[in-house]
Amino acid sequence: MRLFLSIVLALALAAIAAQSQNSQAPSSKTSTDGALTSAASEITVVDLDGLKKLLQRDPKEARPLLVNFWATWCDGCREEFPDLVKIDDDYRAKGLNFLSVTVDELEDKRLAVSFIQEMKAKMPVVLLNVADKEPAIHTIDANWDGALPATFIYDRTGALVYRHFGKIKPEELRAIIDKTITQ
Amino acid sequence: MKKQYGVSLLVASLVVIALAAVAGSGRPDNDVPAPPTIGTVLDDFKLPDTDGKEHSLKSLAGSKGVVILFIATKCPVSNAYNERMEKLAQDYKAKGVNVVGINANNTEPAAEVKSHAADKGLTFTILKDDGNKIADRLGATRTPEAYVLDANMKLVYHGRIDNSQKAEGITANDLRDALDEMLAGKAVTKTGGAAFGCTIKRVS
Repeated sequence: MRLFLSIVLALALAAIAAQSQNSQAPSSKTSTDGALTSAASEITVVDLDGLKKLLQRDPKEARPLLVNFWATWCDGCREEFPDLVKIDDDYRAKGLNFLSVTVDELEDKRLAVSFIQEMKAKMPVVLLNVADKEPAIHTIDANWDGALPATFIYDRTGALVYRHFGKIKPEELRAIIDKTITQ
Repeated sequence: MKKQYGVSLLVASLVVIALAAVAGSGRPDNDVPAPPTIGTVLDDFKLPDTDGKEHSLKSLAGSKGVVILFIATKCPVSNAYNERMEKLAQDYKAKGVNVVGINANNTEPAAEVKSHAADKGLTFTILKDDGNKIADRLGATRTPEAYVLDANMKLVYHGRIDNSQKAEGITANDLRDALDEMLAGKAVTKTGGAAFGCTIKRVS
């Protein structure tokens, strides 16, 4: 079953890769070694389709992906952010992609931008702008009910190998990342 | 143009299905037990209120059922629902369903919960779940989070209160709909819903 799903996913990825970019594409680019890069002081607004595209992997250069959901109104999210910035610094060159997603309301985008500038974040940050949050939450993870902060790790094949709701435990997260990038 | 859109939609659906299936097969977060499934009859439990007096859930329940709301003093999402929660308690008490609040945040002591409730005009009983035992038993992860039990302690709804943090943007009143269906003797059609909220601050 898993093999079948991996094939379906790979085919889907290949097909989408063949599609032209739409106007929702984020400002982050994929460099030649497959790392997501961006100007840290920007936040790109994406809808659910845009977010799904960012979660896809280029099968030729698949890197493990760390995704963290936060909001400026979420204390735990703000408290754990410096640890995530450190993890990004330490693991980017080792082969980890990191996508940071704020669920702040669109009208609060400037608060989110101020925050990531204050945090000196270097990873790509997007703002998920959807009217109804539920389909987005379930798209990310069927077992997630929207609790923040939420952290997910996908391995190279796109399989979800780690989920954590609440502030991250940096040592635990690093151990999972170590395992995932050496696979 | 249309063909391209059709292919794109099909492919996007495949991606979602594949991703959801793979994600759904993973284990839940290690720190939070899985919640009881809809239809489960729950055991009674005892927790102290903010004065330290113990109550059993059954003693606080209404004749037709009870709504358990996990709440917080410091979570902006939970606070955005203060008025709605109080109104819910008033509206449904008259119909035989009582609202019981539970604060399971390790970081919010009983005295703070009590003064916050007084401050915000929350008149329903609020219990303190130190050690987050009941939050664990119910698999509660965030605030606000709602559970509806019928007159026989059967779980008929577990999830969000409605679909908009801002009161002006509500288009789905899931909790009230579930309560109305339960009170009318009908099966609850939407038994839960996801929404962003602050994680419950558990004892680590």
